[in-house]
Amino acid sequence: MKLRWNPIVKKDLQVTARSMRLSWGLFAYEAVLTMAFLLALSVIQQMGSSFYSYGNVYGYLIYLFPVLSVAQVCIVALIVPIITASAISGEKERQTFDIMLTTCMSPFSIVLGKVMSAVLRILFFVAAGMPIMALAFVVGGLSWSYLFYFVLTIILLSLLSGSVGILCSALCHRSITAVILSYAFYFVIYILTFLPMMLKGLVAQVENMGESMLPLLFNPIIFYEEFFMQLMAGESLFGGETSNFTRSEVGFLTYHLSQGKVWMFLSAACIFLLSFLLLLAAAWKVNPMNASSGRKRKQN
Amino acid sequence: MSLCGSIEKGKGINMLYINDLTKNYGSFTAVNHLSLHIPEGDLFGFVGPNGAGKTTTIRIVCGLLRASRGSVRIGSTAAAVGSKEMKRMIGYVPDFFGVYDNLKVREYMDMYGSMYGMHSRDITKLTDDLLELVNLSDKKEVYVDTLSRGMKQRLCVARALLHNPRLLILDEPSSGLDPRARVEMKELLKNLHSMGKTIVISSHILSELSEMCNSIGIMNRGQLITAGRIEDIMQQISGGKRMHIQIASGMETATRILKEQAGVKIESVRENEIMILFSGADEEISALIGLMIQNQVVLTGFYREEGSLESLFMQLTGGGAQ
Ligand SMILES: Nc1ncnc2c1ncn2[C@@H]1O[C@H](COP(=O)(O)OP(=O)(O)O)[C@@H](O)[C@H]1O
Ligand SMILES: [Mg+2]
Repeated sequence: MKLRWNPIVKKDLQVTARSMRLSWGLFAYEAVLTMAFLLALSVIQQMGSSFYSYGNVYGYLIYLFPVLSVAQVCIVALIVPIITASAISGEKERQTFDIMLTTCMSPFSIVLGKVMSAVLRILFFVAAGMPIMALAFVVGGLSWSYLFYFVLTIILLSLLSGSVGILCSALCHRSITAVILSYAFYFVIYILTFLPMMLKGLVAQVENMGESMLPLLFNPIIFYEEFFMQLMAGESLFGGETSNFTRSEVGFLTYHLSQGKVWMFLSAACIFLLSFLLLLAAAWKVNPMNASSGRKRKQN
Repeated sequence: MSLCGSIEKGKGINMLYINDLTKNYGSFTAVNHLSLHIPEGDLFGFVGPNGAGKTTTIRIVCGLLRASRGSVRIGSTAAAVGSKEMKRMIGYVPDFFGVYDNLKVREYMDMYGSMYGMHSRDITKLTDDLLELVNLSDKKEVYVDTLSRGMKQRLCVARALLHNPRLLILDEPSSGLDPRARVEMKELLKNLHSMGKTIVISSHILSELSEMCNSIGIMNRGQLITAGRIEDIMQQISGGKRMHIQIASGMETATRILKEQAGVKIESVRENEIMILFSGADEEISALIGLMIQNQVVLTGFYREEGSLESLFMQLTGGGAQ
């Protein structure tokens, strides 16, 4: 079968490309990125001039890459839910969603189309940020392949954020509640995954952490920590060779996962899987054949 | 309780079968044991006051709502409601719909065409034909949100016809349209009817439908009250075949006699009044009255109802509209 564009992706991109929102969004994105760049640069220059000899400044410029990346990661994680949370509720408000559901599009392809169009829009932004990122590479002296890996992680992150947003959009009637619910979901993914570890380490005060760190496989913060550690220093979970866990500190699984790049790749797989499950849940929710009671409709 | 509105005199095959359809919202029953068969090629009007359950029924047929019980079938196929196969056979124009900003008419059609998995070459050709049909050929490169309400509605009809469905369903197609747009819409639907499409239109205004439809179904409070060809329903009324029998005593006997009588259909039984539909000759009426008197039924009144389709509608749906 010929691979076709998802009609929703095509339409969304057509519509977005013509709206002023895209231009303003790009402008804001670039502005924030430039600000992060300048801030990082001034910090690095101060460090260079106060402590070390002049030549060493360039050694620090390598850190422009993680700083700018983290800035972009934060922006992406924050704006994707706003884009996708209104995706379904917005269509519902116009009742174009009903029309869509009466076509041959399956609920899953509708939901996937919405998330893919959000991911593509994010890639516009990232592409626009490339020149600033490239500066970090030229002066920092990093391999260009890192830039490619970074784009891959951004796709993964926007897929996760988009799936969270689309599920909330399917659950809520109004876009604004969907956005708020998305951030509540974030709290679960980003903060609550630390909870088992904290309970074990701080509350129970046990020496052996067991497998309490495994939920962190789903946490993008730890994923990015690993990503940058691997790229910049070739080290793994929470530090270098010396501070790495020993067999007696953690459970069997965690010990083996924390060696080398295993954690990073497994975490990527887990985040991908989580996104997929969220998409399935959203598709299930928008399918009218699964609706329990039927939503309140506007009276005519 | 419910009435099966099968219309036998058609071209034989029915297009839409609705059997014993019920939809509950919590304890509220929006559609109550609705059975309706619509013949192929009909222009069927679905009338009822606001809140009668027309939209609910239509949404169930289109797979947008799950029925609490009952079944819907198209033609002789076994496709389930909500299946792709079924969706290919139905074109749906909702009662209220918006369009996208920043999207052109051509792109709008293109998007929905590809949602049906059609090839872009076919879509382009069909779009030209359909826009011609709905009189929007000159608007191909215009943004949809700048079209007038009537134009949007016609565009939506063109969109619903894109995948060549066997059945076209329009929910209140003329609500919110100005008189001129209404006439244009009506002409378009008549035109489509003459081309052999089976069309179902819902409306809360009977007169609007009685001019163009060849059969109608009247719905009130979730129940189908009557359905059939317009001529039959008209005849039913103008022939004055609906009788009111007022009875002072002997209610049970009267009901029993009426039930046994051929050609009598009891419509409603109230405290001291029975309403029947009578399809026999006039002599049989007097025989019927005689029979009841012989059986000690005390009749205090007996009259035939006169009236138009409109008054029938008002009477049938009386107290239904809030
Ligand atoms: N989602 C819903 N939840 C609860 N009641 C509903 C819902 N949708 C419709 N209803 C009720 O069902 C009845 C039928 O509505 P509807 O099918 O829209 O009527 P119509 O289209 O004939 O005007 C109305 O009384 C309405 O209040
Ligand atoms: Mg309605």
